[in-house]
Amino acid sequence: MINIVVVSHGNLSEQLIKSAEMIAGPAEEVYAVTLQPGDKPETFSQKLDDTMAKIGDQEILILIDILCGTPYNITARQVLKEKVECITGANLPMLIEAMLSRENTSVSELAVTITGVGADSVKNLKPFLKRD
Amino acid sequence: MIPIKDWGLVRIDDRLIHGQVIAVWVKHKNFTRIQIVDDVVAADSFLVDVLHMAAPAGLDVVAESVENSVKSLLENKTPQNTMVLMKYPKTARMLYDAGITFPALNIGGMGMGPGRKNVFKNTSISSEEYQVLKSLQDDGVKITFLSVPGEKSKDFADIPAM
Repeated sequence: MINIVVVSHGNLSEQLIKSAEMIAGPAEEVYAVTLQPGDKPETFSQKLDDTMAKIGDQEILILIDILCGTPYNITARQVLKEKVECITGANLPMLIEAMLSRENTSVSELAVTITGVGADSVKNLKPFLKRD
Repeated sequence: MIPIKDWGLVRIDDRLIHGQVIAVWVKHKNFTRIQIVDDVVAADSFLVDVLHMAAPAGLDVVAESVENSVKSLLENKTPQNTMVLMKYPKTARMLYDAGITFPALNIGGMGMGPGRKNVFKNTSISSEEYQVLKSLQDDGVKITFLSVPGEKSKDFADIPAM
């Protein structure tokens, strides 16, 4: 099974995993890495390294909260590893789909799928649903 | 005599470009260019790519060594739209001595560590850094601790000597 790591400013990643469990069931092999207020970049980097070491030499999909900032700046370097893919803009639909679709696929295929899920999950509702 | 330019922001932040910088400062001041002054970052082409990828449309992110930054900054024609970003007070001192005589310096964040004293929110400095900042203040630079616009700030002049 492909491992999932969610990285974020603050506790978003931990909470996102808890919320995803309400829909997708227990989150096994899903990890959160947080940048807390006052953390130095090196502190976050160490937390990430510890988590990656714990998972070891396996396929890993990393969801990053936003396309900028310290979690992104540091985590992006993980794409240099063959078995690791990184996607920014982490949201609940992406995490749920990743948790449910990570068997019988490769991490690179999963990354393409999940990036599409993220893009499709954003809708401005009123133009579709308004009644004149 | 090199004319004093009115820089949009000259900032020390050991996280360099992070969430606060992109989400708040860039929008607040309409920056079109961020000049990162750091020998290590400039030499790390992967990190420079990562920073470029994160830059919103219309924002030019440049990372250069101190030496090359001095050249770029002296030639910069839109200082008011430029954020000059570095990690350490000593880098600010080097720029100043090379003729980038900024009138104001923002300190956005410097992390905690051994031998460092917390002086404001997420900012800690060593006595060595205090002396460097004090020398800039003595040269007429107004130094302010401020993470993001609108939040509480503190003047360097108001912290106890170290």
